[in-house]
Amino acid sequence: MTALPQLILDGILTGATYALMAAGLSLILGVVKVVNLSHGAFFTLGAYVAFAISSQGTEYHPVAAVLLAAGIAFAFGVFLGKSFINPIHTNYFSVTVGTLAFSLLFEQGAQFLWGPHPQIIAVGRSFEGPFGTTVRYWGAASLFACAALFAGLRVLLSSRWGLPLQLISEDEEIAESVGIDVEKVRYLTFGAASAVAAVAGALLAPSAAIVPTMGRSPLVLSLIVVIVSGMERLWAGFLLAVGLGLLSNLGAFYLAPEWSYILLLATVCAILAMRPAGLAGVTISRDA
Amino acid sequence: MGTRGIHPWNPLFHDNVSGMKRRGAIAVPVLLSLIVCLPALLAAYPPAARAADVLKIGVLAPLSGPFAAGGSSFVQAATLAVEQANAEGGALGRRIEIAVSDTEGRVDVARSETLRLISREKVNALVGAYLSEETMGVMETASARKTVLLVPIAATAEITDRIRKERGRYRYVFRVGYSIPQWAETLAAFLKDREVRRFAFVGTGIRWNRELGNVLEKIAARDGIAVSYAGYYSPGNPAFDPVAVAAAASAPDIVVLGDPGKNSLSFLKRFRELSPGVPVLSVGGALGDARLAPSLPLSGPLFVQAAAWKGSSPPATAYVERFEKRFGSAPVGYSDTLPFDAVTVLVAAWRQAGSADADGVVAALEKGAFPGAAGTYRFDDSHQAIWGAGTGTLRGTVIRWERDGGRIVFPANGSPP
Repeated sequence: MTALPQLILDGILTGATYALMAAGLSLILGVVKVVNLSHGAFFTLGAYVAFAISSQGTEYHPVAAVLLAAGIAFAFGVFLGKSFINPIHTNYFSVTVGTLAFSLLFEQGAQFLWGPHPQIIAVGRSFEGPFGTTVRYWGAASLFACAALFAGLRVLLSSRWGLPLQLISEDEEIAESVGIDVEKVRYLTFGAASAVAAVAGALLAPSAAIVPTMGRSPLVLSLIVVIVSGMERLWAGFLLAVGLGLLSNLGAFYLAPEWSYILLLATVCAILAMRPAGLAGVTISRDA
Repeated sequence: MGTRGIHPWNPLFHDNVSGMKRRGAIAVPVLLSLIVCLPALLAAYPPAARAADVLKIGVLAPLSGPFAAGGSSFVQAATLAVEQANAEGGALGRRIEIAVSDTEGRVDVARSETLRLISREKVNALVGAYLSEETMGVMETASARKTVLLVPIAATAEITDRIRKERGRYRYVFRVGYSIPQWAETLAAFLKDREVRRFAFVGTGIRWNRELGNVLEKIAARDGIAVSYAGYYSPGNPAFDPVAVAAAASAPDIVVLGDPGKNSLSFLKRFRELSPGVPVLSVGGALGDARLAPSLPLSGPLFVQAAAWKGSSPPATAYVERFEKRFGSAPVGYSDTLPFDAVTVLVAAWRQAGSADADGVVAALEKGAFPGAAGTYRFDDSHQAIWGAGTGTLRGTVIRWERDGGRIVFPANGSPP
């Protein structure tokens, strides 16, 4: 095994997982215009769905896990969006605290259902890549899912089906005046973004210990990616996520593992100090 | 007036925020909170027993947050030990009860819960806590209130150092679990037994794990065993991939995994993908959980160190079987076995002292020998249970995971001397 190519490959795959989570969060920030701290809980939900499928005694099928996780998370996201987020979405602090409370409630619920003990899924195959690297199965799957999601979102947003999303993102009053059901679009977007987080959780479940609190770290990292990349340009978010994944891995290897997170956060602070509106350079606007 | 009134037929138009929806926004979180909290509320108010009829043990463990898995095993084991003691007639003619406190893995909470257990729950003694940091806080509060504290898990040398330096103040504190040097001795003995020449140490970036890595490096060096790599990932946001790459690139004979928590599972998976055949030795904890065995990556040998295991001695086997019968799964041999023994030792000390008076119990603990699942506990001058390779000491064991369970591989004859 050669260290540098492996570190670069792992960095890209790690970054893709950040980007996958960040894509859903970016959608919520852009369309629903709330800071959603329950995103990590949906990631955890996806992982537990994957575990539930794998514990049925049959071979683990990632496609089944992804589809089921997406369906359940979408339904729950729509319920949450319609019953809780929509009625109070103009009270930003209430939504932020409320979604954090949901996240903690979910953790307690997961602990009650599955217990506090870690659960695991068999790791799956890995295969040989170029330059003597080992390509992790789950990493390749999340990179593929990430690329497909970003391409799909790009196509959606440039088509007439994406017009309501763009209009709401720019001006809700105008969107409402042309007859778009803004509330419906909001809760459907919330549901779809929750489904994306659950897909990320289901894909990454074989790489991790599945515990109720496992969504916390991906939530923080995806928030960082969304805020620093600036939400307007999807590919900026993807490139930033991959850049941070590489920085984290190379920093941990060449400095020390405990410096990896510090280096990542220091870089984020430096970028925000230079470009407060994020790399894409568009200020967040809110229409209440 | 909302737009629904103007266009009642059009589903695309409606009020922005109706009163009903606001009520829904309140009802949903309240309802979900009640559903999630109900079991905890019911558990928090068990039928009360008369204080004079019982001896009460305060159990401090993290039942929520990142260390909840270890804390849950801790409480299960303490419960089992109390049930066993009560089945044998209790102590001093009284039933034994436990009062459980959730420390959340936080020093401030552990301190305040210690105070609550002593002043409001009127516990006769304490068992806990889990992390070294929180145990140091508990130790301060318990000593100030002259309450006996048995420490089952926390391994930092600072606990016994303090007892040695300020014996008058900390004389009520006894550690049942192994100290860092004792733990390192056991691990080094295993490495020597396996004829290891180079090992990589991977841990989590918390105080006691670094202590363990440093002490193991020194002890192993006496036998000519060198460290090929030492890395500590951050516990909050661990960078598993680069640590796994670095450990694999250093070409060790074995990787010693110092983290007993859930992150050890994630690291093991990453490492196995890169180096499928290199042996891994875990210090115990999450990797000792038999429920995970079917899904563990066993392409290479996976060893786990434990205080006791089924088959390591007759008391250990009896304990494991009782645990399995009571909770439906085998103990991990660390975060459950040591608390079980801590409660068992405490009850035996009450019986030997003939009283629950703290000074009498301290005297009994200092002089006596107390059988537990892992062996017979005796305490040295710093109130540390004597673990090690010598005759008559507690020794622990190392198992190797197979698909159908753990096999004892160290000591070679299966039983401690």
